[in-house]
Amino acid sequence: MKRRSFLKGLGAIPVVMSVGSLSLMAKDSKKPKSKNAISFKKALEVVTNGKGAKESDKVKLIVPEIAENGAVVPVKVNVDEPIENVKSIHILTTKNSNARSADVFLSPRNGKAYFATRIKLGGTQEVVAVAVLKSGRAIMAKKPVKVTIGGCG
Amino acid sequence: MAKRKSIIKIKPRKYKVGDVVKVDFIVIHPMETGMRKDKKTGKIKPMHYINEVKFYFNDELFTTILPWETVSTNPYFSINMKVTGPGVIKVVYKDNLGEVNEKSKKVKPKG
Repeated sequence: MKRRSFLKGLGAIPVVMSVGSLSLMAKDSKKPKSKNAISFKKALEVVTNGKGAKESDKVKLIVPEIAENGAVVPVKVNVDEPIENVKSIHILTTKNSNARSADVFLSPRNGKAYFATRIKLGGTQEVVAVAVLKSGRAIMAKKPVKVTIGGCG
Repeated sequence: MAKRKSIIKIKPRKYKVGDVVKVDFIVIHPMETGMRKDKKTGKIKPMHYINEVKFYFNDELFTTILPWETVSTNPYFSINMKVTGPGVIKVVYKDNLGEVNEKSKKVKPKG
């Protein structure tokens, strides 16, 4: 019995590998499209009102470098600006079919511009945090996350 | 309407008036993306996710979160709040199928 299960396991490895590479190639055609699907470029435009965002040290994005499980990736954002100046924080991803993950609208009662959540990542990609300021300016930070098992479609 | 389980946690546990505390909110929800197949029936599971979370302090709205389906199953949201006195935090959350629930927690600052 042991020998049998061992052999089975051995046979499964190349099968899994080949299926994996095949599905990667035919990803777009096979998978159903999400109703909320939006590309990263478009999402960034919507969030920043078409102005685009500048990269800044003031946005501190904390994500793991390597996520073993793409279904649960902790994301933490701190914005080094007085709370009165920060209107909203947006979490975007570059390759998920829906690039948006969460939009947070803050008010002075928050005390500090901080937000944390857990998101799904469909594969290795970048997580982007955009902070929109009261003046209409947008600043952002991005970090790549390596995903070993995809979690989002 | 299914009753959902949710938790509000205030960190740290002891706080004073004027402190900025962390408010953690966790809700048990499948957060279905609408792209996964049911293994038994082979049918695509319909999209089901929380799309609005509102935080109230003494009935004053102070934070709105609009999550998408790319947020993990059993979503966790954490924000900061300045404690201005005793009161109640109320969280109202909705999902895309029209389910509305709420949860509240008392705020009791010491000192």
